[in-house]
Amino acid sequence: MLSAFHPLPKLVVCLVWLAASIAMFDAGFQLAVIATVALLLIVAERRSPLLVIGLMIPFALFGFGFFTTSVLFRQDSDFALQMARETPLHGEAVSAGTVLFLRAIACGMVSAAFVLTTDPAGLLKALMANWRLPPRVAFALFSVMQLLPDLAREAQQVRLARAMKRGRLPRRLVGPVEMWSLVIPLLAFAIRRAGRAAIAMEAKGLRPSGRRTIVGAPQWRSGDAVRAGGALALLASLIALTL
Amino acid sequence: MAWASTVTSVLPRPEPAAEWRGVSVAYPHQRRPVLDAVDLALGRGERLLLLGPSGCGKSTLLATLTGLVPISVEASVEGDIMIDAVDVTTRGAADWASHVAFLFQDAEQTLCGMTVADEIGFALENRAAPEGEIRRAIDAAMSALDLPPGWRGRWTATLSGGERQLVAIAAAQAQAAPMLVADEPSANLAPEAAQRLRRVIRRHRGSVLLVDHRLDRLVDLVDRIVLLDRDGRLAAKGAPRDFFRTHASSLEANGVWRPLAARLDEELARNGVALAKPPLTLDELLRQLPDIPASRRATAHDILNRFAKAQTAPPQDNSGDVLVELQNAACAPLFGPVVLPDASVSVRAGELVAILGRNGAGKSTLAMTLAGLLRPRRGRRIGDPAGVSFQNPENQFTGGSVADELAQATASCPGAAPSCEELLAHWGLQGLERRHPFELSHGQKRRLALATLTAGDRWPWLVLDEPTAGLDFANTETLVGHIRALAAHGAAIVIVTHDVDFAFRVCHRAIVVDSGSIAFDGPMPALARDTDLLRRAGLEEPSIGPLLSWLELEPQC
Repeated sequence: MLSAFHPLPKLVVCLVWLAASIAMFDAGFQLAVIATVALLLIVAERRSPLLVIGLMIPFALFGFGFFTTSVLFRQDSDFALQMARETPLHGEAVSAGTVLFLRAIACGMVSAAFVLTTDPAGLLKALMANWRLPPRVAFALFSVMQLLPDLAREAQQVRLARAMKRGRLPRRLVGPVEMWSLVIPLLAFAIRRAGRAAIAMEAKGLRPSGRRTIVGAPQWRSGDAVRAGGALALLASLIALTL
Repeated sequence: MAWASTVTSVLPRPEPAAEWRGVSVAYPHQRRPVLDAVDLALGRGERLLLLGPSGCGKSTLLATLTGLVPISVEASVEGDIMIDAVDVTTRGAADWASHVAFLFQDAEQTLCGMTVADEIGFALENRAAPEGEIRRAIDAAMSALDLPPGWRGRWTATLSGGERQLVAIAAAQAQAAPMLVADEPSANLAPEAAQRLRRVIRRHRGSVLLVDHRLDRLVDLVDRIVLLDRDGRLAAKGAPRDFFRTHASSLEANGVWRPLAARLDEELARNGVALAKPPLTLDELLRQLPDIPASRRATAHDILNRFAKAQTAPPQDNSGDVLVELQNAACAPLFGPVVLPDASVSVRAGELVAILGRNGAGKSTLAMTLAGLLRPRRGRRIGDPAGVSFQNPENQFTGGSVADELAQATASCPGAAPSCEELLAHWGLQGLERRHPFELSHGQKRRLALATLTAGDRWPWLVLDEPTAGLDFANTETLVGHIRALAAHGAAIVIVTHDVDFAFRVCHRAIVVDSGSIAFDGPMPALARDTDLLRRAGLEEPSIGPLLSWLELEPQC
């Protein structure tokens, strides 16, 4: 369902849901957003419930920072409550810390749902085809995605070479000193690689301007409007129920 | 429309497809030009092979064709360069993509698209070809390279190095440009991918300009050969059949690869056994042997025997102490999944062992586990750690200069170590001691890496990962000499390579990694005869194979 949704209206819908999560200072609303997104991922997208719960962990850890701040530092907590009172759309605030905690998870889940159900190539092609994203920018992003796994492989090679010189196995975790020492060789690798990729793109005819065909850009379907309308109506219902 | 113009541009025309007139190129901060007054023409439909030692300007010459040098890479260019009689400077480099398809040396590192289909169709998209045409071109290129249809939607980042190389070749083919320019395309290609590349070159209907070192399987595909010397000057040109006989001394002086057949032909001629027709391949040479006068046949047979022996690792005494052993080891890269679940291998002192297999088969992982740099996930590893010469020698340099690097190496040796001057002289690095290691040529970097590993007695055995990648003939010969000298002093050396010819020449023993297991561990000659295994593991028979088979059938004249 979400995977079949055109990436651009889906992006707009997700941004609206994110904006609502930020604007609504209400624990019930945030819980409803989290539950709705989780249900969509599990039921409509057939994602494992464990994956969905696992996705919440980093956002929960992030949100926990807000929660502890609100509990431990009363002055900040008062500030959060004041902020809640001044929020245009607010319900009964159970606790400012709890709401901030849930809001972090809700925003994270909406973003995760977009990332999990959107093909990055499809998104970039749609941006080029419909929102005039310059091809040079799009293909630079493609190149970065190609580069990242190779950069990781290169880092492992450098670590192995240094471990050999030191005469001991490389540590599983990279410490800050080792991380810093990897910066220059990896930067040199990335710059060289980016230069080669740019030359290859030019040799294949990529120009800064001019018409080009985009094969496989996501096509608009009538269902996209229905999905977008449904998602916005659902959001409006949740807001209405909360207020 | 640009797309339609490619079809008409392959029709016969009087002017050459490409031409360089008095072209000289100088890079900033370099004292002398890399190319010096080069005059060269590439005919329509001609397949031209450009030879020359490392650093003589071959890649620069190719890059000037569409203006990549000096537009994308800063340089000063003098002279005229024409494509279809049009001055290349009248358009941007990207505008020539409809005329020239490039295949770069590190093809797998120059992919532009997200999925395989995106990558193959990229150049046609830039040319604004109709979507239907692009889809058909993608299908045709995938079919020509035997790429599975299931790859269409696969992300290129999830492919192995060898698979990415095939995609890059398919992309060059789909570009449908009348001129194909390939810069050392087989330098990093697995044998299986190299075979498919040769098929693409053979079927290409336009002009082809090739730079390559591996000639034995390529030379019968080209119409003409041109030699650039060390100073970037055009030193010789001619049809392949006569070229290697006529210009043998120039080729040798410049340290350039020659096909085995040409070297054997020269050896025969030097000993008074002249063949009527210069051979391009060993098969051609062997077919001419019955025409040799009966009085010279014994001499010829003797020369053939000696030549075959020189191209084959000598037999070896396997009684050295076991230096390292893996017992049912599960080998995996750092943070990666297990690629070899149950590997049992040992290496003895003085052994020269080749690890062969497809790209991504787990050759390097096995070698690093043997070397003690990767801990087996299960099973045991017993023995001393090894010094490793990495595929990219830059990965192991941490010094600010060649002298620093050597000083670090000697300082870490437990016993007596040679002086920096001795090491520089032994490895042919004199005069470079103040240079940063990254500024050296590839051959010099490789020698510096080996110099640091062999300074003193820290490492009882070595692992060399793809030691011949990008090396010319002279540098490879130097490397072979050093490897043999190290083995003669009792060091064991494990060589990870996809260069079967090099492995056959240097190593007594082969380990073939295929489909998650060690498919072969035994003498190299036994592997060379096992054509089924070679095919299954994506390897080729050594180029010397036909001569060895002939000698087995004709043990004496």
